[in-house]
Amino acid sequence: MEDVSSRIVEKAIGLGCQDAIADVIANRSYQIRFAQNEAVISNRWRESTASVFFVYDKRVLASDIKDLSRVDEAVERLVKIAKSSQQNPDYAGIADGPFRYARVRPDPKVLSLDEGGKYVEAAIGGATDQGAKECAGSFWKYEDEHFLATSNGVEAHDHRASLYLSIRALLSLESSGHGIACATRLSQFNPEKAGRKAGRIAALARSPKPGKAGRYTVVFDPLIFGSLTDQTGGRLGAWMVMAGLSPFGKKIGKKVASSQLTLYDDGSGESIARKRFDAEGVPTRRNVLVNKGVLKTYLHNTSTAKKFRTKTTGNAGLVSPDPHAIFVKPGDRTRDEIFSEVKDGLWLTNTWYTRYQSYVTGDLSTIPRDGIFHIRKGDVVEAWKDIRLTDNLLHLLKNIEALGDEPEQMMWWGEVSIPNSVPYARIKDVGITKSAE
Amino acid sequence: MEDETDLANFALDYAMKKGVSYAEARYEHQEQENFILKNGVLDALYVGQDRGVGVRVLVNGALGFAATNLRTKSDVRAIVDDAIKIAKASRRKTKITFAHEDAIEMNWSIPEQRKLADVSVEEKIAEVQSVDRDLMALGLKIPARYFQFSDNRIVKFFANSEGSRIRSYSPRLRVFYFLTITQDGQVEQTYRNYGWSGGWEGIAEWDLRKRVIDEAKSMQRSLVEGKKSPEGKMDLVAGPQVAGIASHESCGHPTEADRVLGREASQAGKSFIPPDGIGMRVGSEVVNVVDDPTVEHAIAYYRTDDEGVKARRRYLYKEGRVTEFLQNRETAAAMHTRSNGSARAVNYNVEAIVRMANTFVEPKDYSVDELLEDVKFGVYMKSFMEWNIDDKRYNAKYAGREAYLVENGEVKHPVRNTIIELTTPAFWSAVDAVGKDLDFEAGFCGKSDPGQALDASLGGPTIRLRNVYLR
Repeated sequence: MEDVSSRIVEKAIGLGCQDAIADVIANRSYQIRFAQNEAVISNRWRESTASVFFVYDKRVLASDIKDLSRVDEAVERLVKIAKSSQQNPDYAGIADGPFRYARVRPDPKVLSLDEGGKYVEAAIGGATDQGAKECAGSFWKYEDEHFLATSNGVEAHDHRASLYLSIRALLSLESSGHGIACATRLSQFNPEKAGRKAGRIAALARSPKPGKAGRYTVVFDPLIFGSLTDQTGGRLGAWMVMAGLSPFGKKIGKKVASSQLTLYDDGSGESIARKRFDAEGVPTRRNVLVNKGVLKTYLHNTSTAKKFRTKTTGNAGLVSPDPHAIFVKPGDRTRDEIFSEVKDGLWLTNTWYTRYQSYVTGDLSTIPRDGIFHIRKGDVVEAWKDIRLTDNLLHLLKNIEALGDEPEQMMWWGEVSIPNSVPYARIKDVGITKSAE
Repeated sequence: MEDETDLANFALDYAMKKGVSYAEARYEHQEQENFILKNGVLDALYVGQDRGVGVRVLVNGALGFAATNLRTKSDVRAIVDDAIKIAKASRRKTKITFAHEDAIEMNWSIPEQRKLADVSVEEKIAEVQSVDRDLMALGLKIPARYFQFSDNRIVKFFANSEGSRIRSYSPRLRVFYFLTITQDGQVEQTYRNYGWSGGWEGIAEWDLRKRVIDEAKSMQRSLVEGKKSPEGKMDLVAGPQVAGIASHESCGHPTEADRVLGREASQAGKSFIPPDGIGMRVGSEVVNVVDDPTVEHAIAYYRTDDEGVKARRRYLYKEGRVTEFLQNRETAAAMHTRSNGSARAVNYNVEAIVRMANTFVEPKDYSVDELLEDVKFGVYMKSFMEWNIDDKRYNAKYAGREAYLVENGEVKHPVRNTIIELTTPAFWSAVDAVGKDLDFEAGFCGKSDPGQALDASLGGPTIRLRNVYLR
């Protein structure tokens, strides 16, 4: 596979390209989807792809070559197309290698794991022990191997493998909870705990009452706080700022969040998205994005960094920079303190469908799902349903009152697109609306 | 495509020798071109070719699926072995079965007046750039804008162990654009999405230039003349884009049988409609909502689904009542009915599940003027920006992008950020009249794990709702 990456790059340069990148990826992932407490389908993939990036006289072309037995022919065709494209005056090259990378090896026990049924059963067991009647979700063994070569001296290899389980437990249509388990080591993988959490929330959410609109102090469970930080990290990509898809434009050095919040992106940190390098081969590293509420940087590749007169943060995708994995620095409150300090408020456990009226202002709404609870002095008074969180991303970040001291790694279909290691959070003055009568 | 056909047939033969009760193989070859023109600059051109085989087997009442883009017989044999092995490991207590379908042999393709393959990438870029130039010639303050163009030529070969053999060709074209316009510190943003099944002639059919220019002018007018939207109960006249999103979100999704049965519970959610909900009233008697894969040139056009079942129009809500669920063969068997051809996959490497195609309010006979003339006080919301709906598809929100106050039948000044926040029955029960100006936009519909963002179109005519709460 290394040979294929290098051959693609050499061929492209030989055909006149100034820059070339080839990332040959072998995907060997395996998944079990389950619903109604049983597997509904098991999936396995055997795929190899070369993701390539060629630049001919500032004409930028990206592609995926799927037929690795005919790469010469594919490169010739792609370079010909690149020559007929248009120049991108914003293009500023790719990173100069070679680089030194951290030694990271996947857990051999994860690599050799061939059957995930017992983990699904453990999760379902954990949920039904708490009273859940119906469980659905996915178990994943992610495994992919990258062989990266660039025309600027990079030849790098990364074998990534991890385990993931997402479970939703239901007592009824309107009484449900969600749990997540993520691990890079088999010994740390605890799907039963995820099931217990989902089941416990579902049981607490029994017979929910219609919620009431207003402004509340809200305890965000890590899964829904992860949704908020995922939005934050995603909208800190320089491309998003330039495209008008971010409320963080022109806010470097300014206060964008409460001083409680320190948030960083770290592809080299412990998460199921851990990787040794970005798409240009730059070693991944910790980048503090928000320090005590002050915006420090956007996420960059080489081209966007030049545009913003800074250096790459090691977040290159093939075209635009993206976060790898988001981390929130833990706060100083225990979970109990986070809750007990709420005189009269809400506890939200999950959300979905976050959408913006204006990305520039950050005006948004999102729909809490699974357990929604009215709490007083930390205790659940009753379960609610049918509410919407209608607010503004910057307003929410600025109103973070307290953070818990135990972060958990969250990632979930749709809303938490990459791992977000986040604790419980308490946010004041959160807008809640509901459907009109 | 002879060798690829051989691979699919080889997969089936091998699977049947292994003793599976059902097997299917889907070969797909997709050729894509897309580019983003951001703030007038071509960001990057993407050109991709993807082809491979996905095999799904039913063994001991359990499903296994495996896929590869390594198109050798040994790799195909390996994925069949994979699919059988993981299906056997499922240990299901209740057995999955498929509803009966007759085997069919068919070739179908979507005609192209001018083939997408014959249009150079330079011409495609030039077309979008000329629209962008005309937009900028308006002289508005547009700090951020981007256009995303994509086309996809999809060749499929479907074969199953029951004897179905189907070849198809679907060329598709799409343009998405996103604009930010500012004026005196105020910001207005929009996005629109157009799709077409067919050739390059789709560009002319959309009249993209006029649509983009009209949209930008309406944004500017909203910024300059727009006032706060009134709050309280009033009439609402909702344009095709609003009718389309409501059709998709609160009619199409809740009638997906896999959602009704709980198969999507952990991801896209469930449905407020129970499995025995056929006949349930959700709207007024003038409300007919259909999902129809056979609408010519709509982006989700197809004649057979990805389980080899013939496509047909489905009435989801008829005269305000739930009429039919969207079914694939698995859900149909569980509900003791037949598939209505709703199984689709985004590519060869993922399973086909229940999906919407082109979902819309069935038009009736009112003109827009007739819908408006009867409104004493209300809002005419032509389009939306923010929207969402809960995972049981009951509580929806649509926030206005282009909207106007209506008084005594006359359209007055623009109103900004009108909010519709209603339950599904409250929305559809308030509809008292349906227009004839059917129009579609394209969307990406998200579902399943791994996520499958699939081509869909959303549409409708202008509709009128009486006495609903707006703010």
